[in-house]
Amino acid sequence: MPTISIYKDDFESLLASTGRAKRAVSIEQVEEWLMLVKGELKGHNAETGELRVELQDSNRPDLWCCEGIARQIRIKQQGKLKPYAFFGKKPKSSQHLIVGPGLEQVRPYVAACTAKGYRVTEEGLAQLIQTQEKLADIFGHKRKTVSIGIYQLSKIQFPVTYELVKPDEARFTPLGMETVMTLSEILMVHPKGLEHGHILAGQSRLPLLRDAKHQPLSFPPIINSREVGEVRVGDDELFVEVTGTDLPMVVLTLNIFAANLADRGAAIEPIEVQYPKSTPLGKRVVTPQDLGKPRTIQLKTIEQALGQELGVKTVKQALEVYGYDVSAGKGTVKAKLPPYRQDLMHAMDVVEDVAVSRGYGEFVPVMPAQFTVGGLSRIEQTSDRARELMVGLGFQEIISNILGSPDNYRSAMRLDGTDWGRMVEVENAMALTFSCLRQWMLPSLLRVEAASSRAFYPHRLFEAGEVAIPDSTHELGSRTEVVLGSLIAHAGAHFSELHSCVDVLFYYFGKDYSLDPVQHPSFLEGRAGRIVVAGKPLGVIGEFHPEVLERWQIAVPVVAFEVNLSQLAELA
Amino acid sequence: MDISGLIDSLHPLEIKVLTAFGARPFGSVLGTEQLAAAAELEPSQLSMAIEWLLAKSLLTVHAETVTPVVSLTKLGERYFETASPVERVFTAAREVASTGKRLTIPDLQAQDGLDPSDVSKAVGRLKKEGVLLIVQGGCIEATGRPSPTVEAIRTLLNEVHESAKDLTSFSEPHRQIIEDYAVKRGNAKEPFRVDDRVTRSFTLSPTGGTAAEHLLREGVAEEVSQLTPELLKDGSWRGKRFRKYTISLRAPRIGTGKKHPYREFLDTVKTKLVSMGFQEMRGSLVETEFWNMDALFMPQFHPARDIHDVYFVKDPTHATKIDEPFLTQVTKAHENGGKTGSTGWKYAFNGERAKRLVLRSQGTAVSARTLASVPAVPGKYFSIARCFRYDQVDATHATDFFQVEGIVLGEDINFRTLLGLLNLFAREVAQAKEVKFLPAYFPFTEPSVEMHVRHPRLGWMELGGAGLFRPEVTLPLGVNVPVIAWGLGLDRMAMVALGIHDIRELFTDNLDLIRTTRGIF
Repeated sequence: MPTISIYKDDFESLLASTGRAKRAVSIEQVEEWLMLVKGELKGHNAETGELRVELQDSNRPDLWCCEGIARQIRIKQQGKLKPYAFFGKKPKSSQHLIVGPGLEQVRPYVAACTAKGYRVTEEGLAQLIQTQEKLADIFGHKRKTVSIGIYQLSKIQFPVTYELVKPDEARFTPLGMETVMTLSEILMVHPKGLEHGHILAGQSRLPLLRDAKHQPLSFPPIINSREVGEVRVGDDELFVEVTGTDLPMVVLTLNIFAANLADRGAAIEPIEVQYPKSTPLGKRVVTPQDLGKPRTIQLKTIEQALGQELGVKTVKQALEVYGYDVSAGKGTVKAKLPPYRQDLMHAMDVVEDVAVSRGYGEFVPVMPAQFTVGGLSRIEQTSDRARELMVGLGFQEIISNILGSPDNYRSAMRLDGTDWGRMVEVENAMALTFSCLRQWMLPSLLRVEAASSRAFYPHRLFEAGEVAIPDSTHELGSRTEVVLGSLIAHAGAHFSELHSCVDVLFYYFGKDYSLDPVQHPSFLEGRAGRIVVAGKPLGVIGEFHPEVLERWQIAVPVVAFEVNLSQLAELA
Repeated sequence: MDISGLIDSLHPLEIKVLTAFGARPFGSVLGTEQLAAAAELEPSQLSMAIEWLLAKSLLTVHAETVTPVVSLTKLGERYFETASPVERVFTAAREVASTGKRLTIPDLQAQDGLDPSDVSKAVGRLKKEGVLLIVQGGCIEATGRPSPTVEAIRTLLNEVHESAKDLTSFSEPHRQIIEDYAVKRGNAKEPFRVDDRVTRSFTLSPTGGTAAEHLLREGVAEEVSQLTPELLKDGSWRGKRFRKYTISLRAPRIGTGKKHPYREFLDTVKTKLVSMGFQEMRGSLVETEFWNMDALFMPQFHPARDIHDVYFVKDPTHATKIDEPFLTQVTKAHENGGKTGSTGWKYAFNGERAKRLVLRSQGTAVSARTLASVPAVPGKYFSIARCFRYDQVDATHATDFFQVEGIVLGEDINFRTLLGLLNLFAREVAQAKEVKFLPAYFPFTEPSVEMHVRHPRLGWMELGGAGLFRPEVTLPLGVNVPVIAWGLGLDRMAMVALGIHDIRELFTDNLDLIRTTRGIF
């Protein structure tokens, strides 16, 4: 989730709402306040006043900026959110945005507003850019569902149009470039075109925002025009637009920007967006728009979930100081989220906001009273028993990665092209070294042996752990089973030395076993056996083939065995 | 000096050497061979005993003499079996004389085992002795005279073959022959070699003399190095002297059987959880996206489901099925909330995507499976599950790691009992008395908590996260009581306990490190 930079001075200014003086706040105070926004202070530069804050809640994009964090705290101090007057305000008839046909298939929705009277400061600009980036990147899925453009309003003449054009039909100088480029050139050359162009892949016509003079504003979601779409410190009239594929998300994003600019003192004017066809919000959509609907919640639900009697009044107050619009009923509350939030899916979301608003420290922990019996799974018990026995037999336990390389698990074991060499492999491996799950244990132990030629001999190693065995009859295509693997390595390591250990193991497991000769490529022919219990092959024992040892660059003989504990436990 | 203490510390071999000086007057000098004979010791035993006595200053070196010693080289041994080149050339010339055939140098060189330089050296030597003549046409003729060289070499080969001999024991002409036919720098192909042999003679130091005297006077109780069953059986240990050990020596190293320190740590966690009434759950390393994420109400467009966060299985790519009614109910929960009281995520759920196989990325997948298999109510469950994340491997990120997670179901489960349970974890697992609860976010819980504890050694640290499962998670899986989902982040505690700073070392391949880590918890 996002980590953002905010500046303490800017933060303090935003905390000081109209009529309240700006006050210096301590870092400790900031840290405490951050609990209200599920934020964690990651760093603080006392010189520049920069605070690095990580925000956890992926459903609260309104909090991914200085304005949003300050707002949440400010509401608590003021006791209630002061409603934003621009929601529901009638747009000026001169300020329209007209959507052309065909965009349903490309990038259907747009929302926009203007903001006047806030002179952009350096910190304010940094926040605008950061919010734009974080929202488009994380909330907007790397601009796919939502992207944002901000412009100098003074250079724009209404009505603005959002329409599809041929890739070579429009040209403008994009941000970061010196020369005029067509849309197709931008896609091919501009870094942002290369980065985000795939969103428009396969489109014969591309989205473009233009003003009444036919002047391009931007090529969403790729890049703004340098002429109009570059906001500078000192600008005091802005045009903000959001385009995307999900109308509620597009509107919410604009609401957040509108609220942020309003918090900085701008007067927001809504814009009417005129679609050629009806949308879920109608053909004419005024933005910003409050899409929230009040929801009635039983007090009982909240009290049961929190384990504490609170009463309607307390709940109402807790939600109000957290920004909700609340009316109390008899045993119920009717709660509506502020317009810059859309994350109310279930009553439990409100329950959490009550708890966060009151502070987790307000809730006294109590122990669950009901009695339960603890215990280990059968396979864990079997595995623990095997481990105890192996330790008693003088073996050192090992733990290894399960994700490894086909070279170690298969090729170095001489198992290429054999059934023993089949494994669960990963499609999107980052590196070959971590690209498949081990199908048996012995390579994990050879990994240690290969790295430990300087460690005091003899080496007696074991590991009990999970492997993934491909099985086309299983619904997941593989079975996860627990196996015990073990090896002995020293200059005189010998089959019978380990055979004796297997003997001891099976004696205490209370199972008779036999060894059937097996031709297993990892072992010397004539020196390998299948461990068979009740007619079922449960493992293998043998002296490793010298070629295997060579592949692992091991210079002493190694004998090893492996037993499938899951299957052994099932035999009962 | 305490003579009896000294005598007690002596090894039987040392005693033999000391007594070999025996009644000889103090100051007598004995050579190695004399000592070996007098003490009746094998050369290797004698040399050990001498070194020990020298180290204890009971013996001193009287003189070191260097004698040249002649022995046969490998080549010499071969000449002894067959004949030296000179002898072969001489014999060949003799044979030709009796048969009247012609013999040239190239003829000789063609003989098996004779190389050109051997032939020229032999012919030169024999010609000088007047044994051979080289006549017209390069033919070799024997004059009929005997060759002193050939005879001398044969004699010497026979003599030295028996055993190496002191060079000075040979006559002057023979010494000359040895000189001519000995391995020298630049000429390794010779039958003889001359080495310097160092022989030492010894005399007792004053302390050694006192000890020897004491030994002769008092005699020695028979020394025993090992108490044996026989000695015990017939009581003959009585009157025996047991050799004293140097107790302060370091013990020889042995290998041990031992649990892995990290596993030991996890075992203690496991035991704690069982003692708190938790039942263990097991799951599969390979999971469907359904159980790994969908069932946990993570929307299919959630950023953590990206190709850059989860490992996808190559073959087969999809599970054969997702059990009903879970698929239908979870689909509804995502799309419109179904009967959970939620609005849902409002998107078209992809049932095929749900079947996509991934490597389990969170232990909560195991909890989801348990919820769907009629868990006990009230019930407490835990798992220590290996999980996989698509992460660049570094000191703080591993591709596979253990997650300690679980659930608690019950009518009395609520936010406050959740906090109570976390308090218990803090106390039992981290021995922490101070706890802080912070609001947190997890996609599948509401409310969500992060627990920070003051660990007795580590100070404030995040111990884990927890929350009440969203009804969108529990209801579609058939559970209609509140459920706590909890997870503990124990790797940092484990790393401190094991004294490591790199998470990769939890799974280290360094056997020495594994063997020597004490792992005190």
